[in-house]
Amino acid sequence: MADLVTLTINGKTVQAPPGTLVIDAAKRAGIEIPAFCYYEGFSLQAACRMCLVEVEKMPKLQASCTLPVAEGMVVKTESDPVVKARKSTLEFLLTNHPLDCPVCDKGGECELQDMVFRYGAAESRFTEIKHHVDEKQWSPIVFYDAPRCILCYRCIRVCSEGMGVGALGIVNRGVYSEIAPSHGDHLECDECGACIDICPVGALTSGTYRYQTRPWEMKHVGTICTFCSNGCKTTLGVRNEKIVRGNNRDKSGINGEFLCIKGRFAFDFQDHPERLTSPLMRIDGKLQEVSWAKALEAVAKKFAEVKARNGKFGIVGSTKTTNEENFFLQKFARQGLGTNNIDHHRSGDVVTLMDALAGRTNALATVEDCYQMKAALVVGADLAQEHPLLAYQLRANFRHHNARVYTVTRGPVREDQYSVSRVRTEPGKELEGVESLRPMLSQEPELLILFGSSIKGEDVRRLVAFADSLNIPVKYICLVDYSNSRGAVDMGLLPDLGPGYQPVDNPGLTLPEMMAATDLDVLWVVGANPLARYSLAAANAFVVVQEMFLTETAQRADVVLPAASAYEKNGTVTNVTGQCQKLTAAAKTMGTKPDLEIMGLLAKEMKLNLGIWTVQSVFEQIRTQVRGYNIPLPVVATGQAAQTSPLNGRIPVISRPDLIQSASNTLFTSGSLGRYSKKLTSVLEYPGELYRP
Amino acid sequence: MASKIQEILGSAAAIAKGMSITFKEMLQPTITEDYPDGPAIFQERFRGAHVLQRDENGLEKCVACFLCAAACPVECIYIEAKENTEQQRISGGERYAEVYNIDYSRCIFCGYCVEACPTDAITHGHGFELASYNTSTLIIRKEQMLAPLEPGKKPSVVLDPAATALAADHH
Repeated sequence: MADLVTLTINGKTVQAPPGTLVIDAAKRAGIEIPAFCYYEGFSLQAACRMCLVEVEKMPKLQASCTLPVAEGMVVKTESDPVVKARKSTLEFLLTNHPLDCPVCDKGGECELQDMVFRYGAAESRFTEIKHHVDEKQWSPIVFYDAPRCILCYRCIRVCSEGMGVGALGIVNRGVYSEIAPSHGDHLECDECGACIDICPVGALTSGTYRYQTRPWEMKHVGTICTFCSNGCKTTLGVRNEKIVRGNNRDKSGINGEFLCIKGRFAFDFQDHPERLTSPLMRIDGKLQEVSWAKALEAVAKKFAEVKARNGKFGIVGSTKTTNEENFFLQKFARQGLGTNNIDHHRSGDVVTLMDALAGRTNALATVEDCYQMKAALVVGADLAQEHPLLAYQLRANFRHHNARVYTVTRGPVREDQYSVSRVRTEPGKELEGVESLRPMLSQEPELLILFGSSIKGEDVRRLVAFADSLNIPVKYICLVDYSNSRGAVDMGLLPDLGPGYQPVDNPGLTLPEMMAATDLDVLWVVGANPLARYSLAAANAFVVVQEMFLTETAQRADVVLPAASAYEKNGTVTNVTGQCQKLTAAAKTMGTKPDLEIMGLLAKEMKLNLGIWTVQSVFEQIRTQVRGYNIPLPVVATGQAAQTSPLNGRIPVISRPDLIQSASNTLFTSGSLGRYSKKLTSVLEYPGELYRP
Repeated sequence: MASKIQEILGSAAAIAKGMSITFKEMLQPTITEDYPDGPAIFQERFRGAHVLQRDENGLEKCVACFLCAAACPVECIYIEAKENTEQQRISGGERYAEVYNIDYSRCIFCGYCVEACPTDAITHGHGFELASYNTSTLIIRKEQMLAPLEPGKKPSVVLDPAATALAADHH
């Protein structure tokens, strides 16, 4: 940064790299230039004329959002002509704006409202009747009120550039201009709602939040989205213990402002009418509501009895519960019940990758790396559908840094739009496709490899060997399905590996083996739904299920314990890239308990000594006992992401590639939980080329 | 001696003067009130219990904008908003207050809510008999605060017959 440009803004000497826009240079110097259409990270528009500034030796006012800094430039942002121009611009923007702030959802956090308060005139010279257009509904999620729109094009740009969808455009001219979907009267898009959040006024409103409350009436709780494994932070707006909105306007977390439909709208499973709020017990062949005390007593009695006669336990953990809960569950199983029959739904071969990369440093990528690395190779995954944040980061990387992206997939994916090379392969033959890219990949200065569940077992080692032979720095992401799929592996929800990939002495039964064992005495399922895919062979097994809903597994249960959702508890989860983040309880559902508390109470009822079971103390055990998790507490406590790195040492087990199968969720499905979100099930989108019927 | 006579005359004069005022006032109209035996009389701008007004069509004026609740220094106003539908229109705007409670155990009758209201929906009435032995009865609901419908006006819920038929078809 040797040659910085020096300019003067409002008499203040400012230095900025060449090419910086005046609006950015001013912002960095602490001078605000108001603007609507300018949005960091997206293409320039210069549509709103709010950012006009006076520049010496230039005859007219200049739009500072498109004006690069120049040596010796003298800029005035508060001079009389500028103030007058702003006033007039706002007056002009308000010609047809309905000023229905009292009923508008944006009221209180509206940029136009703020600007008029700060810079606008109190009166308008326009006396004509305002042009009115009726409100339109484009999808179950997006509503558009044309008169409120100030035509800043932000929604169009976030949709086409940010999301790579391009579902929005502009129609008509002059005062009749309005935003319109590319498909006539409805949207065919990701239904991510980014357009709603980015809208500076209340023109685009959300179907979930509409007319529910006001921004200042809510409690805003930043927590981690409970659906896919990307670990986006969603800031939930909560009123009266009801979640009414999700967004991340404060750009906290690894996702910045990005959220997909799941993080922004699919929180509504939390108050679904079918939510379980009382323990259920099978009495006379029927599940009936009982008290917590009675249910816990029955479970503890059965567990103690089976343990005493050395019976066979089968324990299935969850890919959505917290690290603390997963750690405590395996501790309960191994120390409390003396069994290694513990497993979970495996959706990616993390174990083999960790073994293949053992001893290396800097080999595991973070979400940030998707935005920073110069080249990326996507193998066997439809990133835009299954891992929307990683896909968003890659797209932004391409837009801002011209990243070179390669795809090896079984069909067309959205990354094809900008990838330098795309290879189609049969499932299982991805490595051949990767090999065909060798000449191009070896030219790259560095590479990020993202691979899906079709690369497993020996294929992972072959992929790593291939990357090693390129002789360039390579980082990896092993794609897994759910919010804590990675954490479940790290915490040792495996029959042959304990916490931190420590092998156990007597490996237990895997999930299919448990389901197939005819002599299974107890099946304990914590937040999973194995009966959706397997049938239970042991007809007399006593089934205990901790669940939010009466899923297939819960329907077969002898005791169902109603669990709190991820939005109702504290703890940590680890995302697909191994970044550990904090969950913060946002709401409450009467009658439910967090899984950790349920397990703690069970341990107490059975008089087992498994240590203190508060979130903090279990997390402290994780930090000391799980390798890679000795992460700085302040980072986690302040809601940031702490990178875990469990790469110190080989893992002497043979991973079971046959058990690894991704559920291939799209943007609009998410295992059993997704079925209980009305918003997720109400959108009519087909999820992508690969899934077109 | 003379001083004694003077004193008597002086006292008599004082009594006469005082009684003259008394007799004069007896002939004037009374200014004290008879409450609770008679009705209480108010200044026009007395800030009493709130009344939620209706518009000329009998629809509720309140659009649940929450500005009264935001202005309230003691946070005694609680609102839940809901959207008007084709089948059921409660207020003139896009949304209405499904729940509107004022907690009179906290209200200080400052009138900020009335000042904040953009639709002139909330006003101070002249009701003041709010005392209660039970604080729970001091939370007054919307239904208790709404101005009564003028005779001959439409009910607060306007049913659009066409829309209702359409909704019936869907079910």
